[in-house]
Amino acid sequence: MSKFNFPSIKETNDLSNLRKEVRNFITKSLNHKEFEPSADAWVFSASPDFSKKLGSMGWLGMSFPKKYGGNERTALERYVVTEELLASGAPVAAHWIADRQSGSQILRYGNEEQKKSIIPKITAGECFFAIGMSEPDSGSDLASVKTKATKIENGWKLEGRKIWSTGAHIANYMIVLVRTSPASEKNRHEGLSQFLVDLSLPNVSVKGIPDMTGQRHFNETLFDNVILAEDALLGVEGKGWSQVVGELALERSGPERFLSHFTLLESFINEFKNILIKSGSKLIGKLIAELQTLRRMSFSIASMLQNGESPETQAAFVKELGNKFEKTMVETLREFSNIIPLYEWPSQLQNLFEDATLRIPSNSLRGGTTEIMKGIIARQLGLR
Amino acid sequence: MNEELGIILETTSKVLNKHVDHKLRQNIDNDNSDLINLWDEIEQIGLPKIAVKDKFNGSGLPLSTTLPIIKLSNNIGAPIPLSETILSNYILSESDINPPSGIVTYAIDVKNLKIIGNEISGELISVPYLNLTDKIVFITEIEKTKKVILIKNSREDKELKKNFLSEPRYNLKLNKCKILYIKPVNLRINFKQLGAIVRSAQMIGSMEKILDLCIDYCSQRKQFGRALSKFQAIQHQISEMAVELSASSAALSTITNSDDFYKNKKDIAILKIRAGAAAGKVIAISHQVHGAIGFTQEYELAYFTRNLNSWRNDFGNESYWEDELGKDFLENNNQNLWEYLT
Ligand SMILES: Cc1cc2nc3c(=O)[nH]c(=O)nc-3n(C[C@H](O)[C@H](O)[C@H](O)COP(=O)(O)OP(=O)(O)OC[C@H]3O[C@@H](n4cnc5c(N)ncnc54)[C@H](O)[C@@H]3O)c2cc1C
Repeated sequence: MSKFNFPSIKETNDLSNLRKEVRNFITKSLNHKEFEPSADAWVFSASPDFSKKLGSMGWLGMSFPKKYGGNERTALERYVVTEELLASGAPVAAHWIADRQSGSQILRYGNEEQKKSIIPKITAGECFFAIGMSEPDSGSDLASVKTKATKIENGWKLEGRKIWSTGAHIANYMIVLVRTSPASEKNRHEGLSQFLVDLSLPNVSVKGIPDMTGQRHFNETLFDNVILAEDALLGVEGKGWSQVVGELALERSGPERFLSHFTLLESFINEFKNILIKSGSKLIGKLIAELQTLRRMSFSIASMLQNGESPETQAAFVKELGNKFEKTMVETLREFSNIIPLYEWPSQLQNLFEDATLRIPSNSLRGGTTEIMKGIIARQLGLR
Repeated sequence: MNEELGIILETTSKVLNKHVDHKLRQNIDNDNSDLINLWDEIEQIGLPKIAVKDKFNGSGLPLSTTLPIIKLSNNIGAPIPLSETILSNYILSESDINPPSGIVTYAIDVKNLKIIGNEISGELISVPYLNLTDKIVFITEIEKTKKVILIKNSREDKELKKNFLSEPRYNLKLNKCKILYIKPVNLRINFKQLGAIVRSAQMIGSMEKILDLCIDYCSQRKQFGRALSKFQAIQHQISEMAVELSASSAALSTITNSDDFYKNKKDIAILKIRAGAAAGKVIAISHQVHGAIGFTQEYELAYFTRNLNSWRNDFGNESYWEDELGKDFLENNNQNLWEYLT
């Protein structure tokens, strides 16, 4: 079990001060009605203007090197900033993926030219990314992707279809996982590669898919013989799988896995505090215990990332627990409507609650399903 | 982890592994020479007074530092009152009483206590391991001050309480029992909180062992021509255990790494809630994946799960601490939830 320790990391004064700084910024933005807090804001609520503002505050690409316009701050500092933004339901969807994973991926695997041209824009909140992993016939079984890139003179030809890509309709780039050679008999993870694809290229078409709430945030992207330059290959040809696995640790371990609906919980408590004091302290105490533990675990992973470790399994723990917590939380509030009927809740709270209820099933799908998380953990336990 | 603790852990592990087996767990009478030998070695390496002040010949380590040792002892499944003795002696020492030598235990609860002169009568509830010692510490309120009391009892009026536990536990009626020491309790000492922390560490040590048992058993046991561990339904159940366990370990590490944990009711509540909830899952799942063999005395799983059943109820169960935690936040009027959490 020692593999899965989550050492406790203390929040230093510097971090607490940063927290206050971000909080003040958010309060001001709220006072100026620059945004309306929303549920699942990191997936659904995009505001390029707000992203730009965060960039100008130095809160995007925080850990990126100064050489590329970054801020050379720590993963822990980034953690604190993202937590504050999530807790307030701020519109962070536009830059979320670029800041969380794509930027790091380019810094690790991109060439000098790509780093120089793209990283400063990510840091400024002016360049957005989408994830091109899933396909119509490849979800959990990601290694089965069929989109392929073929070597041509001076470049590559990209053919295929990606689906469910969040934010592709506003993104500048997509990092696309493709086959560059057939899987070998023994190892299906061979022959995959990652490509950095400019979505404004000819023969790329992005089509929105309304989700069950009627919102548009994910998309289907068709690559109809798109011609890519030589250097669109990100990292090493054939090593796409291990690159993706590293990226997923960034994708799964963060506080968005348990703070997606925090605004709902907080508004609920603020609204019904007097009733909760009398009859709800146990319920609220249970949620606090779960939430606080998740924060500690996720913070601990941020420190592992800072130390250059690759906490892929720990990330699966946080995702799994976080998804469960969010489901329990929404259920807990629903049961409370027994005491105060839903139609008597203030309308903004009702909206948050209804949004959360509808969106909650997606939290254990996106970023890898519950079953896949459990499978990853079982493998680490030596059961597979 | 500091070096000193590392060395103590290594020595403790050697001593325990040398003496503890499942047979020992099944005979914990006070005349079992194996058990006496084990405790002698525990004394020799100084564990009973590890959190006792220097001036009382202890090692003076903070109680938080002893948690990994307590956890280890229950991971190995040592059927000895190590945590009880460490905690009792700590409470005595912090309240300026020189702890006695040997095994010391405590009463988790007390009822109808009456003190006349230097004698005490009433009931002590849930006293672990009273078969191995006659020295008992407990805390009670007398004239609005909390007092810590140490007695030696001849054990005439004790009644073995049947409970979930693999370990013996007694209720005891005191009839004009002589008080050895009575002093105001150090204000930093909150018995319920300390007990909750220590029991959580014990639970986590046990749950780590149970997880290992499940992994080993399911990898060896074959049905339908393959190891149980190859069935996805089994894999997912065991993963769920691991997830719950890792959450409680994370909560423990917050306490272990804090110098002033005794001030921090919030984190203590979180620890006991997480450990207690994990224990519930771990008990159910570990028995499920073990099949009938896990339901026997001969196989060691039940030793660990029985203890979990009991410890999760000691010093406040999940509901108790959830309520406390919820109130701690809700009654603190001017903070919103996010401020409270951060
Ligand atoms: C809101 C949202 C946003 C998303 N954003 C993106 C994005 O930006 N980019 C992107 O690439 N993808 C994105 N996805 C796709 C997401 O990654 C996939 O939905 C996920 O990987 C599951 O794939 P699937 O939907 O094809 O389901 P399937 O893989 O078909 O799975 C269906 C069910 O079968 C179970 N299952 C599958 N295999 C096994 C197995 N071996 N054992 C047991 N059970 C199994 C699954 O756990 C699930 O319960 C998004 C999804 C959602 C809902």
